[in-house]
Amino acid sequence: MIVGNRKEFGEILEKLGTARRVLVLGCNECVTVCGVGGEREVGVLASELRLYWQKEGQDFAVKEHTLERQCDYEYIDAIRPLTGEYDVILSMACGAGVQYVAEAYKPRLVIPAVNTTFLGVTLEQGVWSERCQGCGSCIVDMTGGVCPIARCAKSLLNGPCGGSSGGKCEIDRDTDCAWQLIVDRLTESGQMERYEEIQPVKDWRTGRDGGPRKRVREDLKL
Amino acid sequence: MATVENEEVKGGQAKPVGAVLVVGGGIGGMQASLDLAESGFYVYLVDNAPTIGGVMSQLDKTFPTNDCAMCIMSPKLVGTGSHRNIRVITHAEVKEVAGDPGDFEATILRKARYIRPDKCTGCGECAKHCPVTIADSYNEGMSRRAAVYLRYPQAIPKVYLIDREACIGCGLCERVCLAGAVDYADEACQEKIAVGSVILAPGFEVFDAARRPEFGYGVYPNVITSLEFERILSATGPHRSHVLRPSDGTIPERIAFIQCVGSRDKKCGNDYCSSVCCMYSVKEAVIAKEHVPFIKPTIFYMDMRAYGKGFDAYYERAKADQGVRFVKSMVSRVRQQQGTGNLIVTYLDDQGKAAEEVFDLVVLSVGMTTSQAVRDTAARLGVRLNAYGFCETNPLAPLATSREGIYVCGAFQSPKDIPETVAQASGAAAAAAGGIAAGRGTLATKKEYPPETEVASAEEPRIGVFVCHCGINIGSVVNVPSVKEYAATLPNVVLADENLYTCSQDTQEKIKKAIQEHGLNRVIVASCSPRTHEPMFRETIRDAGLNKFLFEMANIRDQCSWVHMRQKPEATAKAKHLVRMAVANARLNRSLGETAVPVAQRALIIGGGVAGMTAALRLAGQGFAVYLVEKEELLGGNLRNIHRTIEGEDVQAFLTDLIDRVSAEPRIHVLTGSQVTEFGGVRGNFTTAVTTAPAMTAQKIQHGVTVVATGAEEERPEGFLYGEDPRVCTQQEFEGRLAAGGEEAAGLREVVMIQCVGSRNEKRPSCSRTCCATALKNALALKRLNPAATIRVLYRDVRSYGMLEPYYAQARREGVLFVRYEPEAPPVVAREGDSLTVSFAEPILQEQATVKPDLVVLSSATVPRENRELANLLKVPRTAEGFFLEAHAKLRPVDFASDGIYVAGSAHAPKLITESVSQAYAAVARACTILSKENLMVGGVVAVVDGERCAACLTCVRVCPYDVPVVNLRGEAEIDIVKCKGCGTCAAECPARAIDLMHYRGEQLEAKIGALVEG
Repeated sequence: MIVGNRKEFGEILEKLGTARRVLVLGCNECVTVCGVGGEREVGVLASELRLYWQKEGQDFAVKEHTLERQCDYEYIDAIRPLTGEYDVILSMACGAGVQYVAEAYKPRLVIPAVNTTFLGVTLEQGVWSERCQGCGSCIVDMTGGVCPIARCAKSLLNGPCGGSSGGKCEIDRDTDCAWQLIVDRLTESGQMERYEEIQPVKDWRTGRDGGPRKRVREDLKL
Repeated sequence: MATVENEEVKGGQAKPVGAVLVVGGGIGGMQASLDLAESGFYVYLVDNAPTIGGVMSQLDKTFPTNDCAMCIMSPKLVGTGSHRNIRVITHAEVKEVAGDPGDFEATILRKARYIRPDKCTGCGECAKHCPVTIADSYNEGMSRRAAVYLRYPQAIPKVYLIDREACIGCGLCERVCLAGAVDYADEACQEKIAVGSVILAPGFEVFDAARRPEFGYGVYPNVITSLEFERILSATGPHRSHVLRPSDGTIPERIAFIQCVGSRDKKCGNDYCSSVCCMYSVKEAVIAKEHVPFIKPTIFYMDMRAYGKGFDAYYERAKADQGVRFVKSMVSRVRQQQGTGNLIVTYLDDQGKAAEEVFDLVVLSVGMTTSQAVRDTAARLGVRLNAYGFCETNPLAPLATSREGIYVCGAFQSPKDIPETVAQASGAAAAAAGGIAAGRGTLATKKEYPPETEVASAEEPRIGVFVCHCGINIGSVVNVPSVKEYAATLPNVVLADENLYTCSQDTQEKIKKAIQEHGLNRVIVASCSPRTHEPMFRETIRDAGLNKFLFEMANIRDQCSWVHMRQKPEATAKAKHLVRMAVANARLNRSLGETAVPVAQRALIIGGGVAGMTAALRLAGQGFAVYLVEKEELLGGNLRNIHRTIEGEDVQAFLTDLIDRVSAEPRIHVLTGSQVTEFGGVRGNFTTAVTTAPAMTAQKIQHGVTVVATGAEEERPEGFLYGEDPRVCTQQEFEGRLAAGGEEAAGLREVVMIQCVGSRNEKRPSCSRTCCATALKNALALKRLNPAATIRVLYRDVRSYGMLEPYYAQARREGVLFVRYEPEAPPVVAREGDSLTVSFAEPILQEQATVKPDLVVLSSATVPRENRELANLLKVPRTAEGFFLEAHAKLRPVDFASDGIYVAGSAHAPKLITESVSQAYAAVARACTILSKENLMVGGVVAVVDGERCAACLTCVRVCPYDVPVVNLRGEAEIDIVKCKGCGTCAAECPARAIDLMHYRGEQLEAKIGALVEG
């Protein structure tokens, strides 16, 4: 899932500038699950805005709405009648959703209320952790199911480095050393011979280094 | 309320009377009453005091969870007071019980109250005006109250009474009581009631500390009892929870607790241990420190008896993290320092030298005794007491008194803490019900209601608002007529009215009439607390044909007039806000239906040891079919390894009899060599697959309740040469060898017993509870067979709690040597040539001693049987040590958080046989609250998921304390309304706002808040 953080209220206010007619738009997918942009958070942000402007004695109109997904055109289009009444759309989706809404309703101003951070998993209720960087060529079969690209601070393919100590990464005592995890898992599954194989330099063209990516499946196209 | 006077038993075949008399309304009496009333019996609950609640109502916090005693007890008080099949008779005593089991006639003497219960509204105006003040016994005399009083604010019944000994007869209360409840001419009256069984739950009174004059209680003001200290700590205590000492009202920095005052004390005739004082002292010390961090508590003790579930961890935390100092020494005297009021405590220090230390406050940990009044009642009822004034019971039948048909529970049976009292109370309920099962449902009444008027959610609300003066409680502060007029202006309000007492009987009729005349479909009462009064008003509107959820309450007394007495205009404004919020909410209230789900009136018991078999027999005795699943080929469990109880009862004979009776009982289906392989369903309707060896045949069983009684066993010890040298064995092995014959015993010259092997360490922090008793039992048995044998028991604390303590004294008298060791320096067992050696630190000689015993007996830990898979199947939790974890450590000791599943015996924690038997009975009583019903009503206030909105994020699944929500095959959260308890946690946490708690829906809360801020 895509994991994000909600922006500070001050930053959102600043971005809103003089706009007082705001549509707060949530997304019922990843951002709902990671507790940053679902219907509950939409309600919280909208209430914060109302309380703030009410206290300031200003006129305003804040509308709450949550889409099934902000990354599909049909869902976005369904709220077209609603958007006309508002100066800005405050999107609580991930970066993809924000952009797609902006694209659909240009030239209307669309403001992100969330910082999109990573692709990750839920470790426990309220705790998420990064697992994937979308490099475009997965190798976790070689590394005991642990991705060194996303989970090693240096994205080393032949680790660990000298900064691994007591199973932790030098950047921070709470961060596991990915290569320690890899070695542990390979040992557990009796695959340590894989560790011996030297990984060649990675072809990063499938990842971000190849420029913005697009994918077409001809067989699915209409 | 139904009255039952001298019910005639008709017909030739006399049916037992389906009612039970419960004597004593403390936590035990309340639990027994609730269990009985919920399983189809009518209950008379008689208490000597003017209110039920007992000693627990005086406690501040409870160990080991530090829950507030009143907070956890209040629901039981309210539940008991409002149950239609429990008649609470307070300020009364039982004069006589005549007749035979199944058909007793009890004579109850109700003392004059001088306040009419049918009229008193509990408003408290009388007490405010009473000119008399006397010492308040609720606060142990440390504060003052009026002559007309309520023992404590949450009292049930909430009816005042006049203490005529203190009353000067001035007539003020009579004049100010607008309800006309004062009746100076009230007289005591006698009543005869017919019951089938009797339960004695009169509790205890604390030891009179003045009987130990060396501690200066009653002479030095700063020497107080632990119960007095409990009141000092309490928010409703004399100083509103400020820790202040009596002499000068300063904060006592150095507090000494002296243990065993009136317990383990031959001099005052109390040879027994009071079982709870060690833990409550640790708790009081910890809580005092929480209140005032610079307090330095010191506990002077003989043995720290933290033997219950989770107790040792609590004790260790107090010692290591919370700064409580423990000194193992009995204090010999307390003197007051000249001028300061401080106290000089004399004791022997760890060097064996007399030491003196000054404290600001001394708390005497007073033990439990039986009051003279209870002794007298027992004598009148023909119930025998033991040498110490507690009820005489047999260890293998701990709930039965010497008189058939009369049962016992709680501290009157032997000193015990709250959870054991609650468990035993449920047990006594099962025992009392057992003899009169045929009378079930004959006297308990079910209310018939008129059909419900349909109120569609689209229908325009028609709201009636009734504003209460509550005598002058509300009316003297809040301008009630103005609130009424204001209410009439609110949207959808079609009627607004005011009453002197909205809770009075005639007002109920008035409300019912108004519903009909004005076509009301919502009713609001603006008065007092829903905690006490909502059930009654709901009942009223239901009688008038409205769904009870169409009732709404605004608390303009407790939350308004009482707290803003001196700000009258503001209080009136606030009352209007509260009424406006109630109207906003009421407009959105909907009828909520409850559905009847049929109950499979059969039980599944997992585990065929003493607990499982006892439970099976009791359930069968009450007429229910039982499936008893035992993993082994033979029934008996750990009982097979025990030969005698410490009291000398023949356990193997008991076991044989138990197995015979189980096998002969046609309602019990015994499945030995069997295991549970699948488990599903909810209370009332479980489906379990059981696989039976050797053919591994599987069968599915439908049942309404599940009892987990998988037991525990003695651990194979590690170290101490166990398994390497045949001269090292466990207590259980030793018991077997002693039972096999005296020949070996005769040859034993010297035996060493080592306690706490595998217990109370880092790996297993808790105490195994039974090993001290087992060691004493085996030591005494050996002494009987071979008085010349030298027996050394190397121990950390001898935990011979309750009535086990006299056996400890006996063992010392008979020459058994007890040598204490510290966990840092445990005894070492080694081999020296052919001989076995044990070396240990000798604390009196202060040197290392080595002995060469013939036998070393290890008191090995009690560990749960393998139960991880079963726990997963049943979805019930376990402790870190693998014992099953009950729903609440204090008040739900045999229930799991999931309804309809109960735990009994050592599966819960290590237990003696007598305790397992009590708990098995308790599980039966709890199970009968479900099995006795043909249908369970479900629905009402439950969480409902809007599948469209659900993001299947699993938040509800994770946060639900009862493990109810699941994500179904459609990828939506699903909440079973049979299991849902309506706590609302999931609704609050759902990030998609896809869950609503019925009756407290999000839009309702928003409407209420909206109404508040718009004003």
